[in-house]
Amino acid sequence: MTDRTKRGLSTTGRVLLLAVYLLLVVLPIYWMMATSFKTHTEIIDAQNLTYFPQEVTGENYDQLFSMYNYGSMLKNSVIISSSTAIVITLLSILGGYAFARYEFRGKGSMLLFFLLTQMIPGILVIIPLYVIFANAGLINTRFSLFVYYLVVNLPFCVITMRSFFERIPYTLEEAAFVDGCTRWQGLFRIILPIMFPGIVAVFVFAFIGSWNELIAGTIFISTSDMWTVPVGLKSLIGKYDVKWGVLMAGGVLALLPTAVMFAVMQRFVVEGLTAGAVKG
Amino acid sequence: MGWQIALYILLVVALFIVGLRLLRRHEKRHPQKIQFSRKLEPYLFVMPVFVLLLLAFGYPLINSVLMSLQNYKLIQPGNIYFNDFGNFKTLFADRDIGLIIRNSLIYVVASVGLQFLLGMTLALALRRKFRGRGLYQAIVFLPWAFSAFVVGLMFRWSFNGEYGVVNDLLMKLGLISEKIAWLGTPGLSLLVVILAMVWMGVPFFAIMYLAALQSIPEDVYEAADIDGCGAIRRYFAITLPYIKPTVIMTLLLRTIWVFNSFDLIVVITGGGPANHSQTLPSYMYTRAFSGYDFGLASALGVILMLALGIYAVFFLKVTRYNKAGDF
Repeated sequence: MTDRTKRGLSTTGRVLLLAVYLLLVVLPIYWMMATSFKTHTEIIDAQNLTYFPQEVTGENYDQLFSMYNYGSMLKNSVIISSSTAIVITLLSILGGYAFARYEFRGKGSMLLFFLLTQMIPGILVIIPLYVIFANAGLINTRFSLFVYYLVVNLPFCVITMRSFFERIPYTLEEAAFVDGCTRWQGLFRIILPIMFPGIVAVFVFAFIGSWNELIAGTIFISTSDMWTVPVGLKSLIGKYDVKWGVLMAGGVLALLPTAVMFAVMQRFVVEGLTAGAVKG
Repeated sequence: MGWQIALYILLVVALFIVGLRLLRRHEKRHPQKIQFSRKLEPYLFVMPVFVLLLLAFGYPLINSVLMSLQNYKLIQPGNIYFNDFGNFKTLFADRDIGLIIRNSLIYVVASVGLQFLLGMTLALALRRKFRGRGLYQAIVFLPWAFSAFVVGLMFRWSFNGEYGVVNDLLMKLGLISEKIAWLGTPGLSLLVVILAMVWMGVPFFAIMYLAALQSIPEDVYEAADIDGCGAIRRYFAITLPYIKPTVIMTLLLRTIWVFNSFDLIVVITGGGPANHSQTLPSYMYTRAFSGYDFGLASALGVILMLALGIYAVFFLKVTRYNKAGDF
């Protein structure tokens, strides 16, 4: 084999591989969307499975809102996720800045502690929190989920923010100090504007982390008016009867916000995800 | 809820401002001690995060360890007492525990292994630029942002025995002649969970390795080409050593994460049929919140955490990685 045919062969193999993988990613998503636009009779016609909705209908989406109160679930999810994400972003800026710009005693052990928190099974934190919340009368409030999502997403976000700070040359701040800026002004006027992609990435991590969570939601929330999207949709899975059309419609709508966020911010998010790892 | 959050934010901000003010005043009054207050500054920045995490993880953890040693059932609040390792004894006497440990191992090894291999392959395939690569990545990395819950629904529906598209496709291709009850058959139900987990997890590995690959200087490869290095040798001699720190850290974190996560199991199979797709954490969830037996669940959790800790230390020792604080 000459070098040329070798290269041609490897390119063909690569294209084939990428195409197959694309198909594997897209198919389940397509199937969910297709199902969500089918009528109930078409969905449960096991003899003739249709790969494209015969009659495109919005009835599943209608039912979702009119019968299952999807609007209230969306509202709860939006409130909880965005407040969590905002607070996490603020706290991460402070923590990340300290870890990136200062040497101080206990820094190493604090970072180790952050790593350790990632090893704790979530349920082990949820159980005692449940008892605490129950005693404080906070069970079945949005606040309970806010607290839980805040603490489980915080360590990763702080570390990510720290790597973003570390990428910005310190000389930039020094120049500002020489010009008479205080540390505080340096942070707000010089560093944060450059950090914008990092801040967006951390916000998206925190938002997606809380938006997607199911388990704590099923535990801390008990009445339907407080359900978040995953918890509410889970209640649609009955023991014998599952409304697949409605469920798939709910799934599509649940994925949309995070998918859009990810697609738009993809560059920032990928940067953020890899920021900590590449240094090594 | 709104006011509680607002209160917390206000509290943190107020503490922060007061702290900063005090420091400044201190500096002005004792200019010679400026060194000292500069030293305190970082603690001021880290304090809100650290205190919060310490409270939110430290207290519950101690509490969990205590609960694991007690007869602690939420439905009998008056009947809480230390029961002489009774929870641990019950746990090891459980006749399904062997099956569940086996499931957990299969689930973790198979799904992390497959995610890793596919993610690495994808990253290598995406390494060289081509037209439309940005768009391709935007689509293919999408599952990273998806919720395990919805992915679980997708797979549960696709592998449905009666109306599932997978059975239909396999029959049309002539690979099977009768519909398979994927979720009702021991072994197969766990397989579906693993497939869903792999589908979700490949982007994470691909993103991490793609970034790591791009940090390898091109001239190293050129030198290898001149020396007549084959593609496979090139991979093991250059690529892999270069990205080794990333590989180790991603494998470690992902293993722990996959092991601990069980929303897919809850959504797709609920642990069924008859615990055949139950893993240790999902079993813990079931025990804790169907019977409200927090003592038993905590005991299981304590064992899990010890196991994960030992695994992490062992893994880092074996791979000779010594930057544990730097993930």
